[in-house]
Amino acid sequence: MPLSHAFLAALERIVGADGLVQSLEGRLVYECDMHTFYKGAPDAVALPRRAEEVVAIVNLCRHERVSIVPRGSGTGLIGGAMAPLGGVMIGTNRMDRILAIDLPNRCATVEPGLINLFLTRAVASQGYFFAPDPSSQMVSSIGGNVATNAGGPHCLKYGITTNHVLGLELVTGAGELVRLGGTAIERPGYDLVGAAVGSEGTFGIVTAVTVRLLHAAEAVKTILASFTSIEDASEAVSAIIAAGIVPAALEMLDELMIRAINEGTGAGYPKDAAAVLLIELDGPAAEVEAQGERAARICWERGALEVRVAADDAERALLWKGRKEAAGAVGRLAPTYLLQDAVVPRSRLPAIMRELAAIGARHRVQIANVFHAGDGNLHPLILYDDRVPEELERAKAANEELLRACIAMGGTVTGEHGVGMDKAKNLPFQYADADLNFMYRLRRVFDPEGIMNPGKLLPSHPACGEGFRPARPRVPDGAWI
Amino acid sequence: MPVAARSIGEALVSIAGRQGVRDDAEALAAAAVDGLRPSWVVRPGSIDQLSGVLALAHDAALAVIPRGSGEALELGSPPARADLVVDLRGLDEVIEYNPADLTVTVQAGVSAGALAARLAPHRQWLALDPPGAAARTLGGIAATNASGPLRARYGTLRDLLLGVRFVQADGVVTWGGSKVVKSVSGYDVPKLMVGALGTLGVLAELTLRLHSRPDAESSWLVRLASPGEAQAFVERVIASPLQPSRIEIFNGEMLKLLSAGSSGAGVAVSIGSVAEAVREQGERLGAMAKIGRAQIDALPDGFWTAAESALTCPPGWTVLHVVALADRLADTVGAIENAARTTAPRAEVRLSGCAALGTLRVLLGGASVAEIAAITTRVRQRIAAIGGSAVVARGTAELRKAVDPWGPIEPGSFALMRALRDEFDPRRVLNPGRYVGGL
Repeated sequence: MPLSHAFLAALERIVGADGLVQSLEGRLVYECDMHTFYKGAPDAVALPRRAEEVVAIVNLCRHERVSIVPRGSGTGLIGGAMAPLGGVMIGTNRMDRILAIDLPNRCATVEPGLINLFLTRAVASQGYFFAPDPSSQMVSSIGGNVATNAGGPHCLKYGITTNHVLGLELVTGAGELVRLGGTAIERPGYDLVGAAVGSEGTFGIVTAVTVRLLHAAEAVKTILASFTSIEDASEAVSAIIAAGIVPAALEMLDELMIRAINEGTGAGYPKDAAAVLLIELDGPAAEVEAQGERAARICWERGALEVRVAADDAERALLWKGRKEAAGAVGRLAPTYLLQDAVVPRSRLPAIMRELAAIGARHRVQIANVFHAGDGNLHPLILYDDRVPEELERAKAANEELLRACIAMGGTVTGEHGVGMDKAKNLPFQYADADLNFMYRLRRVFDPEGIMNPGKLLPSHPACGEGFRPARPRVPDGAWI
Repeated sequence: MPVAARSIGEALVSIAGRQGVRDDAEALAAAAVDGLRPSWVVRPGSIDQLSGVLALAHDAALAVIPRGSGEALELGSPPARADLVVDLRGLDEVIEYNPADLTVTVQAGVSAGALAARLAPHRQWLALDPPGAAARTLGGIAATNASGPLRARYGTLRDLLLGVRFVQADGVVTWGGSKVVKSVSGYDVPKLMVGALGTLGVLAELTLRLHSRPDAESSWLVRLASPGEAQAFVERVIASPLQPSRIEIFNGEMLKLLSAGSSGAGVAVSIGSVAEAVREQGERLGAMAKIGRAQIDALPDGFWTAAESALTCPPGWTVLHVVALADRLADTVGAIENAARTTAPRAEVRLSGCAALGTLRVLLGGASVAEIAAITTRVRQRIAAIGGSAVVARGTAELRKAVDPWGPIEPGSFALMRALRDEFDPRRVLNPGRYVGGL
């Protein structure tokens, strides 16, 4: 439903003419995030500069019953920052200041539109960094990282975004500006910060974030090991973890991906390698040295074809090169792909890789794999040619089967990308009605009128979630009341 | 098939069995909470039974006090009502332990000690050490978000709880989170349950993240003249590449108790890693101590066990859980000691805490209720501006009536907390009145 002139005029009064996007071509820029399947342009885009403006926008929208979609840099992979029902999109890009850096307490307070990497750059010279490192970190916003509870290759050791958020300033769906948490590590009462991180803009819009900063590691060591089978590489992963080593990152590439990378980037992985393991250790120099030797030894013991240890930063960058260009390299194999990020228990990696090969064969699609092996977080790229009729349908069918296989092994449908539009329909694989009902009610506490990012994170239900009514246990009949 | 019951007692028996329900005077007296004697003590043997008990309590408008070992029953305000004490120690099964995945799923009544014994052969542990943990149930530790010195490196249950099965106030069994170490599917329900004192649901089953024990671990005690010097030393350690697993500050009283001399303050640091790295980091720690002309000594292996008993609250004493900031550590220690000295000259103050995070555990003895209440209020005033808090984690019911054990909550946050409580337990079945702001 198009917005009225009066509404748009009110919006313009809040954010100014330069903060309002109304034209069709202007709005089309915002019609999708990096999951380009899902498209829906908002009816207007508001670009506030201050929290008070966000409060005013939310209250205006509440009053007029217009839905709101928050958006950071639009680099999400789940169809989260797009407007399937139209409404107003609130872009946080102009709220990008660093408000405070507090090194003695190892934290910083920033606005949500600040680019992830810019925070690390601001504190790097003093020896600190912001740990969450999604691959998009040079463009994704910290507000977006908070919304999706983003991970990254190094979260194996350092944890995901939620482990690094101390406080939030949030404009709830009810239009209230609330300050949750803060610099102090904890406070009495429910952990509202913990609940709000990863809520994908369904609780409200974050207008400031207090994050932890970590001291940069003294030493880094990167090791690349090639194996002739996924099983050997997986066993090496398990042995490394069992040895008490927690690498900063532990990434694996499968045969198809290795081939694509070798052809695409000339990373020079061994030709007959069926699995490549990238191990990165960081920490105090003596620890990294000793654990690096041990990890390399473990790889040899598990039948590695080759083990390379980077001698300096340049070599380190070279070892990472193939991994970082993986998604681009598969372009040589197929015009497009479906990407998801399900998780299995680490010990089930060999089993899920066999299952995955079977699923690919069944649906006649190629699946290339690059994944965070340390925490069992898969990133299968299901390749298809969108010019061939039905290939997309087969890819989707393979994707769904794969998600179900991961759940059957005790896993989860998303490890770090989030739910958004893309996986909302898949949550019932993992959660019973009672669990979904609890989440619906939780959402309603923060957004009583259901205006915040509708259609995302939870599956839609005819009765707006009320349909997910859990069965109560039977209470004995009788005269006890 | 409908079960007919003439009384609540019979209905409880039909759910939890004859052995699972007690209503004799002795059992009820032993289960009293802050002087409130319940009418029944129920010990469910399964999650189904727990669910049935809560559904019944909900429909019959009974107030339920969930408990584990009972260690934290003096946390929070005295309950408004207490009809039914639900003893969760019957849920004592380790459901699934996957050493290769470093995860374990346990029922909430499993004690931390029992879990530790199960994990030890694999050189793994739940890296969480609140005082007295061995005897405490994991559900109780989760519901109270209790922690100890190891939080410096490993965090609290907030960081270690992956998934949780809980029973809502109306008896509905609910699951949140996942059983893998990384998941963002749906809301992070486990976070909401940690530290909620069972007011949004009674914890029944926990999936926990484990860690491998380090190859080697050593600890050192650095003795300093004052809390100010201790803070300066801690700041040097924090700003260095060292990765301590504990960095615990002690005041002079606590040092005496640990037979560690008569310095003004001490900082005990543990390093866990491969042997070479432990040795090397120990040398650097020594160099940092020398900058402040502090005395540093290696600690014997049993030190942390001894420290745990020193940290344990003696009968009749009070525990304050104070959260300040790392760079206000000395100020806060000073404020606490000063408040005690001027308010209650005979009071004894034993103080320890995670220096890197600015959290302090304060044991107060030899002071009256009015004095402790006054000390608490003064400490709160001193740290309010930095967002600090002081919670009475243990103390008499009289004290927890004289002073709000939780302290003030920011109004915007509190409105949301109240809304959560109203949504998930509108009848106030679970721990009525015990949680923040009388929720």
